[in-house]
Amino acid sequence: MSSFRLTLERRQQVSTLRSTTTYILGLLLGLGFGLAVLLAAGAPAATLLDDLVIQVFFSSMGLAQTLTLAVPLILVGLAATSAMRLRFWNVGIEGQLWLGAIGATLVALSDFGSESLRLPTMLLASAIAGAAWIAVPLILKLRAGVNELVATLLLSNVAYLLLQHLLFGAWKDPVNSFPVSPRFDDSEQLASLGFGNLHSGIYVALGITLLMAILVQKSRTGFYVDVIGRNRTTALATGIPVTATITLMILLSGALAGLAGGLIVTGVEHRLTQTIGINTTFSGIVIAFIARFNPLAVLPTAIVLAGIYNAGGTLKVFYGIPDSIVVLIQGIVLLTLLMVQFFRSYRVSLIRQSAPQSSQPST
Amino acid sequence: MEQFITSWLGSTPAFAIPLALASMGLVLCERAGVLNMGAEGYMALGAMTAAVLTLTLGNPAIGIIAAVIAGAALALIFGFAVVIMRCEQILAGLATMAVGLGVAGVVGRPYVHKSFEGLQPLDIPLLDQIPLLGRLLFNQDILVYLTVLIGFGLWFLLERTRAGLKIRAVGEDPASADVAGVQVQLQQLMAITASGALCGLAGAYLSVASSSVWVDNMIAGRGWIALALVVFARWDPLKALAGAFLFGAIEALLPRLQAIGVPAPIYLMNMLPYLFTIAVLLVAAWSGSKKGVEPAALGKPYVRQDRH
Repeated sequence: MSSFRLTLERRQQVSTLRSTTTYILGLLLGLGFGLAVLLAAGAPAATLLDDLVIQVFFSSMGLAQTLTLAVPLILVGLAATSAMRLRFWNVGIEGQLWLGAIGATLVALSDFGSESLRLPTMLLASAIAGAAWIAVPLILKLRAGVNELVATLLLSNVAYLLLQHLLFGAWKDPVNSFPVSPRFDDSEQLASLGFGNLHSGIYVALGITLLMAILVQKSRTGFYVDVIGRNRTTALATGIPVTATITLMILLSGALAGLAGGLIVTGVEHRLTQTIGINTTFSGIVIAFIARFNPLAVLPTAIVLAGIYNAGGTLKVFYGIPDSIVVLIQGIVLLTLLMVQFFRSYRVSLIRQSAPQSSQPST
Repeated sequence: MEQFITSWLGSTPAFAIPLALASMGLVLCERAGVLNMGAEGYMALGAMTAAVLTLTLGNPAIGIIAAVIAGAALALIFGFAVVIMRCEQILAGLATMAVGLGVAGVVGRPYVHKSFEGLQPLDIPLLDQIPLLGRLLFNQDILVYLTVLIGFGLWFLLERTRAGLKIRAVGEDPASADVAGVQVQLQQLMAITASGALCGLAGAYLSVASSSVWVDNMIAGRGWIALALVVFARWDPLKALAGAFLFGAIEALLPRLQAIGVPAPIYLMNMLPYLFTIAVLLVAAWSGSKKGVEPAALGKPYVRQDRH
């Protein structure tokens, strides 16, 4: 008598072929599910290609809007990448983004420094504010071992309340009935590129992507990050500056998220509002994960996601499909990718079990 | 003043109950070793389901039951992902959260801002006239009493029964539990499903009992507060219940202060629960009690080869 039993083991080594195939299959499957959901929600199949691809990437106005939406997404994708490479759970990207927007607005409203340097000062302030906001959970983690997941999450809520406190109070535009700050002066707005709403922030995003790629893939720090991300104990034992590397990368993560906020207020809104940056924590993590934590891959991923957000706007106007469909699609793609990874990391095998009275001595 | 306190305490459950139900569900889930980031999504799905069914069928009870089932079903998808497919729990939780929020937004779209006859408070004559505590204790809907009951039931389950011991064993040391004959995956799936059901009920309370309408972004971050509340309550269902009432009381107080003209910076004061929680995290970390309380295997996928 023999019976069969399913067993599960972790694969000790995963071939590049297996890992690439499972990734591509997962992505295609996820996008397929996403499309199915779109159709089920009432998007007409006949014009889907047009709405989803042609209008947002191959029409002049559509592409301009997609790239405009992509600017903050690229930065939050890089922010998530920077933290997740070290397995640091920054789920407070929104909070750092809001602090960044507040920092930039503070410089603008107080007319700090000379007018010619105002814009760079605002962007610098946004990065510093974002870094300062993540410094709190970072210190709590490094000094007291407090879980960063909950701390970044909590501080995100605090940041939103701070934003509301300012917009309903001291910074409220007296001539506007909505809770928004006064409009920035012309010298406090990023130059428009004459291509839809696209502003010079796209150059900032592209430049930073390149710098991040160099930092992560070519520099010594990037190597340290890889080692620490794989095994912190080994990294410590080999004399790698673990704390310094973590501090640098996590402050960078906050700074990038803050800069995303700075670019939104200086490039698009031209004032502080309470609707910026919604869902950017989740989108940043989705982008970083799909890009497999590779900065250069963050760029196309963020642009494609921006295209989906852009198409979401069209679907809303023409077919009454709510914005939440975009969040739903991101959730489905991420969940599918995660589940398909099972076939990358684990081996399932059917094992024939011999009867208990076998002569095999137990070990 | 007495009037003010009576009505303030009376309105506290409206803020506390959703937090209490969701955080107690998450306590159960985390005690089984599963970090569940999906609460916001289960709550949204529950709130939408309850509102839509109450609107179309006119019966809040059916709406509430359907919300519980919807929350449990979505949680089961998360459970399949993390328990069977061994997905990264935080990422899979965030993904399920997005699915819940997305489905609630898309399906609930035609029903937004349509108010309906929701769950009414129980009418207990005379007792609700008692000063200070009368309205808090005797002028609430049935879900409020049910929530308190669930809190004690959950505490009893976890601390005093064999079933609870199995759940805790899985959360502390799945390998040893496995060797002892506990079905690790089954325990975790049950805990996850129950947490989804409780979050669904929390959502239903928001739409059917406290506001009688469905709107987008109804949950507004309560799922995240519930997640923080689990840490605040040190993984104890009764402390989660008490913590939810504390947070709810602060939330209920602020608009009232503003209404009677007290110049309170309400947004800054609303930060208090979050800052409290960070302080609790810090104190727990410093006093070194963290190891004793937080489930040791929280967030780690278990494979049988990990037995030692």
